[in-house]
Amino acid sequence: MSGVQLRKLGALWRLGVAEATAYRTSLLVWVLATTMPLISLVLWRALARGGPIGDYDQAGFDSYFIAAFVVRQLSVSWVVWDLDGQIRTGALSALLMRPVHPVAHHVMINLAALPLRTALAAPVAIAVLLVTGGMSITTNPVALALAIPALVLAWCLNFLTQLAIGCLAFWLTKAAALYDVWIGAYVVLAGYLVPTSLFPAGLAEVARVLPFHAALGFPVELLIGRLSSAQALAGIGLQLVWLVVIGGIAALAWRRGLRAYGAFGA
Amino acid sequence: MADEPAISLQGLEKNFRVSQREPGLWPAIRALFRREWVEVAAVAELSFEIQRGERVGFLGPNGAGKTTTLKLLAGLLYPSGGRARVLGFDPADRRPEFLRRIALVMGQKRQLSWDLPSLDTFELNRVVFDVPRELYERRLAEMTELLDLGEVVRKPVRTLSLGERMKCELVAALLHAPEVLFLDEPTIGMDVSMQLAIREFIREYHRRHGATLVLTSHYMEDVAALCERILVIDEGRLCFDGSIGELVRRIRPLRRVAIRVTQRLDEGQERALEQLGQLALVGPPRLALDVDPERVPEVVARLLAVPGARDLEVQDAPLEEVMRELFARRASVREGATDTGDGA
Repeated sequence: MSGVQLRKLGALWRLGVAEATAYRTSLLVWVLATTMPLISLVLWRALARGGPIGDYDQAGFDSYFIAAFVVRQLSVSWVVWDLDGQIRTGALSALLMRPVHPVAHHVMINLAALPLRTALAAPVAIAVLLVTGGMSITTNPVALALAIPALVLAWCLNFLTQLAIGCLAFWLTKAAALYDVWIGAYVVLAGYLVPTSLFPAGLAEVARVLPFHAALGFPVELLIGRLSSAQALAGIGLQLVWLVVIGGIAALAWRRGLRAYGAFGA
Repeated sequence: MADEPAISLQGLEKNFRVSQREPGLWPAIRALFRREWVEVAAVAELSFEIQRGERVGFLGPNGAGKTTTLKLLAGLLYPSGGRARVLGFDPADRRPEFLRRIALVMGQKRQLSWDLPSLDTFELNRVVFDVPRELYERRLAEMTELLDLGEVVRKPVRTLSLGERMKCELVAALLHAPEVLFLDEPTIGMDVSMQLAIREFIREYHRRHGATLVLTSHYMEDVAALCERILVIDEGRLCFDGSIGELVRRIRPLRRVAIRVTQRLDEGQERALEQLGQLALVGPPRLALDVDPERVPEVVARLLAVPGARDLEVQDAPLEEVMRELFARRASVREGATDTGDGA
């Protein structure tokens, strides 16, 4: 990447930080709206009082759901709503007139909000850590080294899924509503409410190869030390496969969508 | 390269596929299963050229295809057929080198971030359009001065008035000094003094940079003040290409000679004047005669001889009236065509 392109990304980043600061209250509301894993934590911890459930005891649930909360905060994006609105109202035109790719614009705007969002989420996570007595983090150096790429890939998967669905707004009037369907499946299949390893045999195996799990359950299990080095590498491999598939769909939808752009308010 | 026109269109076409249904519940349910699509031609075989530095206005009724044409030229829409070249580029490719040399300002859209001061967007544009900082500072100072913006650029955009916002939109669009400037209804919804300020500013930009201007507006004043050449577009086709004067004279070949009078003339005098042209106003306060341009000197002399005559004026028909007449005429031609079609 050339210096010029880096400078452009930097400028978008600064705009994103300024926007995130302007929208700090909505950011906080969003953080609070994504505390579902903490509710699950309380629920499963109570259920596990009598003894471990599957391979999770109380401390295991604590670690899992705190990690799920953190991964969710770090891998979140909202491009589907932005894009849906911009396509329907024609506001996308302004982005298309700049010599910088609109997708690069959205990537930077979404990333730029992460530090502030993390700062807003940190007190919640710390409070839970104090109340529950802490969480265990993997000591396996391979898993630790892979945690960062796994998180980055999880972010990319969420972003590209939203991008692909958001592009449907080029043809449909309410594409963002379709994302709710995706989120419905995500909540169940990603390990957001229940670790996928507790699913009934058969369903568990299926759920663990789907993109939902790659975007949440896998990095969580990696972080809390539930995966061997081999499993960790396989998980990254699976994330990459989904990245190519979903990224391909998103690229196609974007390219064809632009040709259809303008039927509405463009 | 220098002789190449800034903009050229050859048989440019744009069709939209639009779903349609009858009103009511049953058609709504049926439309869930079977949509009916119609192809609407927004732009049909449009061909023209615009030279560098020209100021051109697109006129036409709502839905005539003016804005669609503008968007095709700016590269926002893909043409369904034909070819467009702007500064030697195919606009639909939206190459960065192309985008750095043009700008599109839309009265009903914004590029400024809603909850941030305009300066934040200016700063973003400085970097993404590769404007050297010195040049940026100079242009920004120049434009804020010309538009009398002062501290306005430091306030969140959502707190600005419509006029202030449009001024800031113009600054954001012009910081990279585009060679071709597309303006879509830049003064829509503004009061007269704000329209005037914006018009003046655009004219000044053209004077300083020699840019090519392409404008659509519902306000004939905008077009009259800014554009030396008019393209009338209706139903996606070009139906007039020339100066405002030519347009007016084509629709209303007569010129109006008017004076201020204190009392109405007697019947004999009026009849005498009617020999020279059509009596449009009989006053008081104004007496006006629509006459053939060749008879203007004669009519002027006759009117000045009217006792108590003051404030003589010779004018083309007002542009608004001309446009009303033009579109009414085209509409009746269209209806006529459908009538015969139905009858046959």
